[in-house]
Amino acid sequence: MSNALIDAVDWDEGGDDVFLPATLENKPDYDEIDVSSSAFWKMEFAEQDKYFRMLREQRPVSWQRPVEDAVTPDPDDPGYWALTRLKEISEVSRNSDTYVSGQGVIFDMLPKIFLTMTQSFLAMDNPMHNKLRKLVASAFTPKQVRRMEDKIRQTAKQLVDDIAEAGQIDFAVDLAEKLPMITFCEIMGVPRERWEDTIAAAQGIVAWADPEILQGRAPDEVQIEAASMLHEIAGEMYEERLRNPTDDLFTALVQAEIDGEKLDEAQLGAFFVLMSVAATDTTKHTSSYAVLGMTRQPEQRAWLMEDFDGRIDRAIEEFIRYGTVVMTFRRTAIEETELCGQQIMPGDKVVFFYGSGNRDETVFENPSEMNLARDPNPHCGFGGGGVHFCLGSNLAKSMLRALFYEILTRIPDFKASNPTYLGTNFMRGITHLDFAFTPEKAENPGDA
Amino acid sequence: MPKKIVVDRNRCTGLGMCEAAAPDVFEIQPDGSMTVLCEHPSDDQMDAVHEAIDGCPTEALSLVDD
Repeated sequence: MSNALIDAVDWDEGGDDVFLPATLENKPDYDEIDVSSSAFWKMEFAEQDKYFRMLREQRPVSWQRPVEDAVTPDPDDPGYWALTRLKEISEVSRNSDTYVSGQGVIFDMLPKIFLTMTQSFLAMDNPMHNKLRKLVASAFTPKQVRRMEDKIRQTAKQLVDDIAEAGQIDFAVDLAEKLPMITFCEIMGVPRERWEDTIAAAQGIVAWADPEILQGRAPDEVQIEAASMLHEIAGEMYEERLRNPTDDLFTALVQAEIDGEKLDEAQLGAFFVLMSVAATDTTKHTSSYAVLGMTRQPEQRAWLMEDFDGRIDRAIEEFIRYGTVVMTFRRTAIEETELCGQQIMPGDKVVFFYGSGNRDETVFENPSEMNLARDPNPHCGFGGGGVHFCLGSNLAKSMLRALFYEILTRIPDFKASNPTYLGTNFMRGITHLDFAFTPEKAENPGDA
Repeated sequence: MPKKIVVDRNRCTGLGMCEAAAPDVFEIQPDGSMTVLCEHPSDDQMDAVHEAIDGCPTEALSLVDD
């Protein structure tokens, strides 16, 4: 790869149009531990982690074949480097000058039109990334999130009101999914009659290998349909806000100017799609892992309940590490460098395996156990640091705090069981989860 | 030796992890930029300031001798 080509790419603009290809030259054989196979991604996480553990111990940066059964396979793709230890995940995440996002961040290979429609600043580099990000970041600062907290608490209370007497629910569907989705729709100002469409489409986006959501249809068809639906909703909101500005985030985005230019309808649509997934599914699945963990380790639940206010913040960090619902993101190297003894060439893809990083035994004691008192807890559940660190982390924590306050003070003797996992290599999701508890009213002798 | 907080403006993305750790010292403005409310933190603010520095995902914060 000549430097001239690298220089010719305008990385400042994200390098969308000129693609820096990867090469098989000077690459080792594919690693004998194959983390690209479909079979690997059908395993439960504990099983996968046995292989990750071997990679962490022996070959923390390993050369892997391209992901098997990709949504849109690329015959020219030679493979990627798999990063399985926290140290390298963190190092590469923070070095966004060498490892860029503008050539894509999704592990699987997805249709280009879908990526353009969905990724927004997730797949951009600076300075454009920072300009766009700052626009939204101002809506998610600690102070802004505190302003939303009353509303979030109220929503969480209402949601637990709705199920408190049931005694048996599907936690993922009846509770976990609703708080983040309602909060997202309210922050964005999605009209009430479009909430269900928004929720369904946001799920279609990340469901590219899940048979239940696909229902026999091709993954790219479902994805593009879902992205189109979200663009349609964003388009309606765009027209509406131009006529009648309000005080929601969407209006702020419609009115915002970057270097004297406003975002167009397509850019706003991509923003909306990214947010609809990032703000919702992540928190939903983290809640499910948290109740599963507290069912398996009741002593952890008891510890948290002894001093909820004093302990919940630390517990939430552990919920996020324990769940690690975003499993993979990738970067592309744009200059020659070395990583853990491996020679990285321009165009090489590197993939973060966050689940593996969060089970790194050199950093976390008994990593497969949930330990709510874990401190320090330098997990990579919000990413490994750097400019793409999770923008919504404050909001996510606020929602988890509100939800678990309601659960642990009102229906604390729950048992979560029988999870149905989402079958993808991106989101470690739980689509259904049996959840049994003593109904709230049963504690009231007047109702007996 | 008194310490002063230094912000690398090229790194800061205005995420506000620092404000969450030390709200008396750091504040994100409505335009997304970060303001240091007090450049020379007092001794009893130091724990929170260290937490903010260690917790900054973009490593934009440091303490220097003044």
